[in-house]
Amino acid sequence: MAMKVVALAGNPNVGKTTVFNSLTGMRQHVGNWPGVTVEKKEGVFEYKGEKFLVVDLPGTYSLTAHSIDELVARNFLLNGNPDVVVNVVDATSLLRNLLLTMEIFEMGLKNVVIALNKIDLAEKKGIRIDPLKMSKALGVPVVAMSAKEGIGIEELKDKIYEMAQGRIKTNPVVPRYDPEVEREIEHITNSLKGTKLERRYPLRWLAIKLLQRDDEVMKLVLRHIGEERLREIMTHIGEAEARYGRAMDLIIASQKYEFIDRLTHEFMSYVGKEKESLTDQLDRILIHPVYGFIALAMVFYAVFKFIFALGLPLQEWLDGLFASFGEWLAPQIANETLRGLLVDGIIGGVGSVLSFFPLVFLLFFALSILEDVGYMARVAALMEGIMRKFGLPGKSVIPLVLGLGCNVPAVMATRTLEDERERLVTMLVSPFIPCSARLSVISFLAGAFFGSNHSIVALSVYLIAILVALLSAWLVGRFVVKGEESPFVIELPEYLIPSWKTVVTHSWERSKEFVKKAGTIILLGAIAIWYLSNYPVEIGSGKSYAEKLGYLFEPYMRLMGLDWKAAVSLLFGIIAKENVISTYGVIYGTTEAIKNAMTPLQAYVLAVVTTLYIPCIATIGAIRAESNWKWALFTTAYMIAVASIVGILIWHAGVALGLA
Amino acid sequence: MLMIVPLSSLKPGERGIVVNLQGGPGFRNRVLGMGIAPGAVVQVVEAYNPGPMVISVSGTRFAVGRGMASRILVRKL
Ligand SMILES: Nc1nc2c(ncn2[C@@H]2O[C@H](COP(=O)(O)OP(=O)(O)OP(=O)(O)O)[C@@H](O)[C@H]2O)c(=O)[nH]1
Ligand SMILES: [Mg+2]
Repeated sequence: MAMKVVALAGNPNVGKTTVFNSLTGMRQHVGNWPGVTVEKKEGVFEYKGEKFLVVDLPGTYSLTAHSIDELVARNFLLNGNPDVVVNVVDATSLLRNLLLTMEIFEMGLKNVVIALNKIDLAEKKGIRIDPLKMSKALGVPVVAMSAKEGIGIEELKDKIYEMAQGRIKTNPVVPRYDPEVEREIEHITNSLKGTKLERRYPLRWLAIKLLQRDDEVMKLVLRHIGEERLREIMTHIGEAEARYGRAMDLIIASQKYEFIDRLTHEFMSYVGKEKESLTDQLDRILIHPVYGFIALAMVFYAVFKFIFALGLPLQEWLDGLFASFGEWLAPQIANETLRGLLVDGIIGGVGSVLSFFPLVFLLFFALSILEDVGYMARVAALMEGIMRKFGLPGKSVIPLVLGLGCNVPAVMATRTLEDERERLVTMLVSPFIPCSARLSVISFLAGAFFGSNHSIVALSVYLIAILVALLSAWLVGRFVVKGEESPFVIELPEYLIPSWKTVVTHSWERSKEFVKKAGTIILLGAIAIWYLSNYPVEIGSGKSYAEKLGYLFEPYMRLMGLDWKAAVSLLFGIIAKENVISTYGVIYGTTEAIKNAMTPLQAYVLAVVTTLYIPCIATIGAIRAESNWKWALFTTAYMIAVASIVGILIWHAGVALGLA
Repeated sequence: MLMIVPLSSLKPGERGIVVNLQGGPGFRNRVLGMGIAPGAVVQVVEAYNPGPMVISVSGTRFAVGRGMASRILVRKL
C-alpha cells in the first residue's frame, strides 16, 4: 500500500525542520534564520503500524510565489496531493503566521493540523494561547508543541494518524470579505466554471489570486480560458479597484488581517507588559552602523582564532601520526610497487589531507553556532549598505558566509533571494569564498612556509578572496547581468542559546563529508598522482607522465612564478581542492622536502591561486543545476582569468619587493 | 487631520497603523505576507542612518531598508 504523504508547511524559521527531524529521526539542517530549507526534503516515520512519508517544505511568508523556495512549497501543496498538511506556526507571532494558514484554507485543503510551535518562547513572552479554543476557532486540530524540547511530537503523530485514517472531521474557517470583494470573487468564479480548472483547483482560491494579480496564476488561467476572457476579468477587477480607490490585494490583505485579529481574540491573550528583551538589547549593538561592524570583525576574528588555535596543534599531531604510521608500515611491505603505492601514494596523499579534519570540523562547529544563535540575519541587516555598494543585497551575505563551509550549499542558499538577477550574481561569485577544502590548502601552505605568522598569512588569503568576490559582484552586476536593486527586508529571529546537540551533530554531519571525500575522490586522486609520477619512469627523470603533463602548462605557470608541480596539483584540484595538498604530499613525500622546493612567495601565490582559480566539480554542477550551463561555464572561465591575473600581480609585486 | 507619513519618517519608539503600500504587485505581496498589511500596527524599534530600520509587527522584528520603509505609508499614532 502506498505511504500516506504528510507535508510540513509554514512561515520561515517557525521550526518545520525541527519538527521534521523529531518525526523522522533525521538530521536535516536547522538554523535560526529564515530560509534554511530551500528544497523539499523527505523522510519516513511509522506510527501504529502505518508508514508516513513526511515532506519538509521551504518556509514561505505567503503562497504567492516570489522566490524559488516559495514556489517549491506552493507547488507541492497544490499538486503534491498530500494526505495531511501540518501547518507549523510560531506561537510568538501568531497573527502573521495565520495569514498563511488562511491561504492554505483558501486553497481548499481540508486535512490540516496546526502545530502550534515554540510555546516555550511564547510563555516567556507572556503570550497565552488556548489550543482547544484555537482549534474551535480555526476548525482544525491544534497541537501545542515545543519541537526543540520534543514536547507534543507524540500528540502530533497521533493527530496525523487519525486524520489520515479519515477519523477527524475538519471545518477550516475562511475569511469572508466585503460584499464588493465577494461580488468580484463570484464574478471570476462564474467565468471559470466549466473549464478544466474547476476540477483541479478551488475556484475561490484562483479568484482571490487573480484579484491579487499573482503572476503564476494569471499564466495558468490564461492557458485555460484564453487572452480575451482573462482580459475581461482583469478589466472588471480594475473597475472595482477604481471604485475602491486602491488595489485589490491591499483590500484583501487588510480584511484578512482584520479577520485574523478578531479571531485570535477568541484564544489568545497577553499577560504582563512587554519589557525590552535581550534580543532588542543585543540588536542595539549588533545592527548598529558602528558598533555592529566592530562586533562583526571581532566575531569573525574570534572564529578564525578559535579554529587555528585549537585546530593546528591537532593537525600537526595527526600529520605526525600518519607519518610515523607510514614509517612503520614501509619495512613491512616487501613488494616495492605496493610499498610505494601505500606509503607514498595513499598515506602520503590521503593522510596529508585527513590531518586537516580537526580544522574543518572546528570551522563547521563555529559556523553552526553562528547560525543557531540567530546572528546570520543580523549580519545581513548590518551588511545591507556595504553589499549594495557592490550591487548585492544584504541577504546575499548568508549564502556567502555558508560558503566558508562549502560552496555547494552556498549556491543552493541563494534560492532565498527574491530577485532573480541578484540571485544569479551572488551565485556566480560565491565560489570565490574559500571553503573548508581550501582552508586546508591555505593552512597547509601557510603552516609550512610562514611558521609563526601562520594565521596572519592565512587570514590575508581570505581577505583577498572576499575582496575579489565583492569586486567581481560589482563587475558582473554592472556589465554582465544588469538590473535594478530590490527592496530589503529580513526577519530578525529571537536570539537562542544554541543546543549543543544540534551544533555538534550538525558540524559532524557536514565535516563527515570531508572524511568521505578523503576516502573516495582524494584517495583515487592520490593513486592517480602516484601512478603518474612513477610511470613510465620515476619522477625526477623528466619522463614521468606527471612531469610531461605539468610541462605542458609550465610556461603559463611561470608567469606567476610557479612550476610544473603546481600545474599538476592545480589540475587535480579541479576535482577537489584538497588534491592540491595531496599531490604535493605524493610528489615530495615530506613537508620538509616541500619547504626546500619553494620560496614563501611561491607558496603564497599558490595558496591564492588555489583559492581563486576554479570552482570544484561539485560547485560547477550546483551552479549548472541552479541556473544553466552557460553560467556555470562563465564562472569557471571568469575564475581562471581572475586567478591568473591576481597570481601574476602578486608574484611580480613580490619580486619587485625582493621577496622572491 | 490624519497624519499619513512614510514609515521611514517615524522615530524609534513611535508607532503607526499601515494605511497603504506604494509599489508594484510584487513588492506589495512580499510586504503583505510578512504581516505588514493595512490595519497592522508597526512600531519602530531602531532607526539607523546609515543602515536599516528595525520594526516590530505583531510580535516579529524585521530589519527593513530605507527605500522599503519609505514606500510603506502609516498613520502616526
Ligand atoms: N524556543 C524554541 N525554538 C525552537 C523550537 N522549534 C524550533 N526552534 C528553533 O527555531 C529555529 C528555526 O528552526 P527550523 O526548524 O530551522 O525552522 P524552519 O521552519 O525549518 O525554517 P526554514 O527552513 O528557514 O523555513 C531554530 O533555531 C530552532 O532551534 C521550539 O519549540 N522552541
Ligand atoms: Mg527548515
